[in-house]
Amino acid sequence: MKFSFLELPGQPLPLARPVVPVQVEDLQDAPQLCLVDTGSTHNRFGAWLARAVGIDLSEIEPVQIALGGGLTSAFHTRADLTIAGTRYDAPVTFCDPWPYAFHLLGQEGFLRYFRLEVCAAEFWLDLTPE
Amino acid sequence: MPTFVISGHSFSLERRTIERALAKELPDPLTEHYVVVHGRRFPPKQVLAKVTGLDRADFTTHQARRILKRLGFVAERVGSTTSAPDRGAPDGGPFGGRQAAALAPYAGQWVALGKPTEVLVAADSPEDVLAWLSRHERRASGGMFRVPLSADEAQGAAPT
Repeated sequence: MKFSFLELPGQPLPLARPVVPVQVEDLQDAPQLCLVDTGSTHNRFGAWLARAVGIDLSEIEPVQIALGGGLTSAFHTRADLTIAGTRYDAPVTFCDPWPYAFHLLGQEGFLRYFRLEVCAAEFWLDLTPE
Repeated sequence: MPTFVISGHSFSLERRTIERALAKELPDPLTEHYVVVHGRRFPPKQVLAKVTGLDRADFTTHQARRILKRLGFVAERVGSTTSAPDRGAPDGGPFGGRQAAALAPYAGQWVALGKPTEVLVAADSPEDVLAWLSRHERRASGGMFRVPLSADEAQGAAPT
């Protein structure tokens, strides 16, 4: 399934970022635009999203990880993700605080499940479930 | 201060009061008409109902538009938007700059997109966006995210 890059305000030209809409658990009304981050080992999502979909993080022992130049508490768990029409049970790390604009799709919870073709010159990416 | 008679009641209204009253209000979904209040598009009836306390059934969209235009607000019709990528302008981004322009007023805010260039709602927190979508039974077909505060953040720099 092909997805267009997201076009963000920038000077002198807009900034195009590779994003994929992700339905987390049963949150159908609000698919989250997640940044494809091939350098990330895991999916990293904001902890507010866990609360929004009813994933209880209180029993999980958080670990401190460095991310984007800051420290955050990381809660490793699993969640149902629906991407490109495919629903699967994925390892996800919910992070608090999460000051970033996008959640991140990384190797273990995303790239392992899809074949990814990126054409930055034409601002699109294509996902095929493995 | 201009005075208006609406549904048999007299109201003194001024632009600044309306802007203050709408500051923390999220715009309802737009249908045909909108007015621009502090850079955000509201249905005219939502604005007038908020500042008068009247029910929206007590006046028409035309009345609301007329009054708000007299107070200096821009009133327009909802235009058609397209989701087709602009193949003729690859340097301008996948939508030829239209999506970036649509998102520019919402820097730092959480948004839900309908079409790629249609911002359904913008709010300070993701929870507010989710509540709005649920309340109005709308779907963010174009996805939900926070518009980066700056070009630096959009390019990957951590927010400060």
